[in-house]
Amino acid sequence: MSLKPKSRGRAGVQAERGGGGEEAPSTSRGPGGAASQGGRRAEAPSAPGPRSQKQLELKVAELVQFLLIKDQRKIPIRRTDILRHVVGDYKDVLPELLRRAAERLEYVFGYRLVELEPRSNTYILVNTLEPVEEDAEMRGDQGTPTTGLLMIVLGLIFMKGNSIKETEVWDFLRRLGVHPTKKHLIFGDPKKLITEDFVRQRYLEYRRIPHTDPVDYELQWGPRTNLETSKMKVLKFVAKVHNQDPKDWPAQYCEALAEEEARARPQTGVAAPTPAPSS
Amino acid sequence: MQGSTRRMGVMTDVHRRFLQLLMTHGVLEEWDVQRLQKHCYKVHDRNATVEKLEDFINNINSVLESLYIEIKKGVTEDDGRPIYALVNLATTSISKMASDFAENELDLFRKALELIIDSETGFASSTNILNLVDQLKGKKMRKKEAEHVLQKFVQNKWLIEKEGEFTLHGRAILEMEQYIRETYPDAVKVCTICHSLLIQGQSCETCGIRMHLPCVAKYFQSNSEPRCPHCNDYWPHEIPEVFDPEKEREAGISKSNKRSSRSRQH
Repeated sequence: MSLKPKSRGRAGVQAERGGGGEEAPSTSRGPGGAASQGGRRAEAPSAPGPRSQKQLELKVAELVQFLLIKDQRKIPIRRTDILRHVVGDYKDVLPELLRRAAERLEYVFGYRLVELEPRSNTYILVNTLEPVEEDAEMRGDQGTPTTGLLMIVLGLIFMKGNSIKETEVWDFLRRLGVHPTKKHLIFGDPKKLITEDFVRQRYLEYRRIPHTDPVDYELQWGPRTNLETSKMKVLKFVAKVHNQDPKDWPAQYCEALAEEEARARPQTGVAAPTPAPSS
Repeated sequence: MQGSTRRMGVMTDVHRRFLQLLMTHGVLEEWDVQRLQKHCYKVHDRNATVEKLEDFINNINSVLESLYIEIKKGVTEDDGRPIYALVNLATTSISKMASDFAENELDLFRKALELIIDSETGFASSTNILNLVDQLKGKKMRKKEAEHVLQKFVQNKWLIEKEGEFTLHGRAILEMEQYIRETYPDAVKVCTICHSLLIQGQSCETCGIRMHLPCVAKYFQSNSEPRCPHCNDYWPHEIPEVFDPEKEREAGISKSNKRSSRSRQH
């Protein structure tokens, strides 16, 4: 049964949501979710006519859920994935859907939908609420124990002038009992975490240094780090670990301060997703 | 259940943090939900009076309405504990699971679900489920693997395991009741008292009507001669106690002790 693009006068289906809606429940073609009897209806066939408010609402709802689920894994969400898994026939109104989804995500959940890098067509959710220590006890998913390791690496990178060689990272971490080749009780496989997982999640950038023998790599902050935290926050973390004051590192402190001032100045449209007119 | 009051609530950071943290749990018991609520107030609005949980949640739900999700309250079938889960209203399917499981795993769940619904007790044996492994859609799955997948379902609170048999977790019932009723309308059992989906319960041996254990507890509370509400025959089963959160808190000195004794059921 196909969903006819409905105009006004939806024959009073408005209020009835729970009971077997004639208004087609959405057709989320999520991974492995295609097979089910009963509730699913096919999308509108050929030309997408005007969509009803309710149809758009349903699509936005699907999109919001999709973004929430994807972000839970800290995988940046690609526009192409959005098109393929959620938007489909509603491609023409993608900018509108994204705009509404972003508004709902921020108002309802406190997550800002942000493009990872300008024109990258990849998005992440940035939490507008500050994490608080006691949150950890309230969570159902143990958060990410690997955050500690990430913070240490971010700290190392920043203190070393925003770039560090991989060999230097391991020199440091070995002293903490974290080795690239040994399984770690908390972090599991630290080498994989640092050089693969954190990179894929865009917390770190990992690049080969040319003409090095044996091959060495350099690590820098990734775009997600820049969006989710700040030099000042990381400096404060490092200071806390050493039981000192951030000002004890004047060079880094100045740099962190400069970044704060730059951010405080009105942005030139970095935050909101600005999808290109032609997808 | 909820009146269609279009009067939209207002979200503050208290509500947002609550939602964010609630989403990290598939399902949460009422006591923990209250703790969570208090925590969020503490972080954002120390001096405010903590709103009654029901009103707090209704407020959030009125905002969630436009996203076709809601915080739904239910009750565990075995001991009547109130539980909460964030459920999807728009899609009538097992879509919430779809993002965490592969096609063959979802099909295994569907098979287990069917066995559970068809069963007399609401439980399906591990053996019977595993015997269906050859019929699964998607990538071929061996019995050993299927055992692991079943455990994954238990860990993620879709199924409960009791002595080698599986039934639906309260979470699954909350999330999928509508889907189940639409997909298996003939096989589905319903409680005579509350008219909701019934997986586990007690039944009258004479006329066959069924009731949830917590519904039995409430209906026959302080009734020394329990009789079937339908045919008036003696009710032959043991009447469970009504769940009392206060008694629970006093008895359980450390919640973790309670949890370990309940781990079989949850």
